[in-house]
Amino acid sequence: MSETHDHSNEHDHATHTHDGKPIQEDPLPSLEAQILEASVRELLIEKGVISADDVRRAIDQVESRTPALGAKIVARAWDDSEFKALLMSDSDEALMAFGVDMRPTELCVVENTDEVHNMVVCTLCSCYPRPVLGVPPAWYKRRDYRSRAVREPRAVLQEFGTQIPDQKQVRVHDSNADLRYLVLPQRPAGTEGWDQEKLARLVTRDSMIGVSDALAASDIGG
Amino acid sequence: MRGPQDYGGMPAGPVDPVKHEHVPTHWEKTVDAMMMLLFDQRRRLARVDESRRMQEALGEDYHKYPYYERWLQAISWLMLEKGVYTQEELEAKKAEVKARLESGNES
Amino acid sequence: MNPRFQPGDRVKVLHRDQPGHVRTPMYVRGKTGVIERVVGSFPNPELLAVGHSGLPYKMLYRVNFRQGDLWEDYGGPAEDTLEIEIYEHWLAPV
Repeated sequence: MSETHDHSNEHDHATHTHDGKPIQEDPLPSLEAQILEASVRELLIEKGVISADDVRRAIDQVESRTPALGAKIVARAWDDSEFKALLMSDSDEALMAFGVDMRPTELCVVENTDEVHNMVVCTLCSCYPRPVLGVPPAWYKRRDYRSRAVREPRAVLQEFGTQIPDQKQVRVHDSNADLRYLVLPQRPAGTEGWDQEKLARLVTRDSMIGVSDALAASDIGG
Repeated sequence: MRGPQDYGGMPAGPVDPVKHEHVPTHWEKTVDAMMMLLFDQRRRLARVDESRRMQEALGEDYHKYPYYERWLQAISWLMLEKGVYTQEELEAKKAEVKARLESGNES
Repeated sequence: MNPRFQPGDRVKVLHRDQPGHVRTPMYVRGKTGVIERVVGSFPNPELLAVGHSGLPYKMLYRVNFRQGDLWEDYGGPAEDTLEIEIYEHWLAPV
């Protein structure tokens, strides 16, 4: 992930990874967008608003935030009921132990149970608990997910391979204002006695958005 | 009036969790980084709500712009609105960058 | 600032056809739900969006809706729910 962020060249970085394989992804920005980006960045640097070093460090910060942190938080909540109670009631305080600062937003943790399955969307833009999950996946930002997650959540869940029985309530959270949502998935069966590090390996990004469940113990050879 | 960003409940296609994954490019992370810096506690040059207002101002173009290009346009319009740089300075800089890119001497 | 609504109160989301940036999506306007919790007071995003300080702050609530009340043709069990954050000036008592 970090092999490209000190390149100043605008072209080479996005076409190949360090092992030389072409990256399959959205088209490169248009020439117009490349010109605008370089122009804005250079003007902001010339005006003393930001420095090139600030940009590099901010990119490091973007890259340092990954769903691995969210997974650690979930694993601890599974393993430590006191921590879980704090996380659900005063997430700011609970997240201090992980060095996470959500301001100016607040983290709202919603727990999956035998009765309720939670799922998160932001219909108006792409609000997402970035300090604990990193940048949102592309599908989370697209029109398809944003439009349909509120109106036909069960159909969308099925597109992720997630089948929720009719007797279980599906609860959609539209993350539209000042809270950011993290789903606390159900702890999989057969994980009694596992330590937090091993538990964290079951916690996927998608399970913390609520479009899937956590992995099964057998998925990681447990 | 319904803004272009107000997608909730509108007709749309299937979600493809495999095809619609994407590793952010360096270019996208740079735009992300600039937005973070302009919003941070030290600079406070803009708020996320202002960026959203600018993205919504794209109107029908909102649907056509790739995600980070929307962000970039919002940043640039906000900097113009706040007088951080002028339209003339931006046009001159764009001409300079364009000439540089076309000459293949872009760094 | 005292919240006008308490958890369990039935509320209706107003239409408030106003221009500019707002955080109340169309699909909940005119719909009736129940206050799930009082989140607290926050800067008004409609004012933050135009570069103001967001004062006076607005009380924010999480409102729970039955999906069957949001969409006539909801395809799943009508007891499925949706929760969303709504600022106080967008809510009326029912």
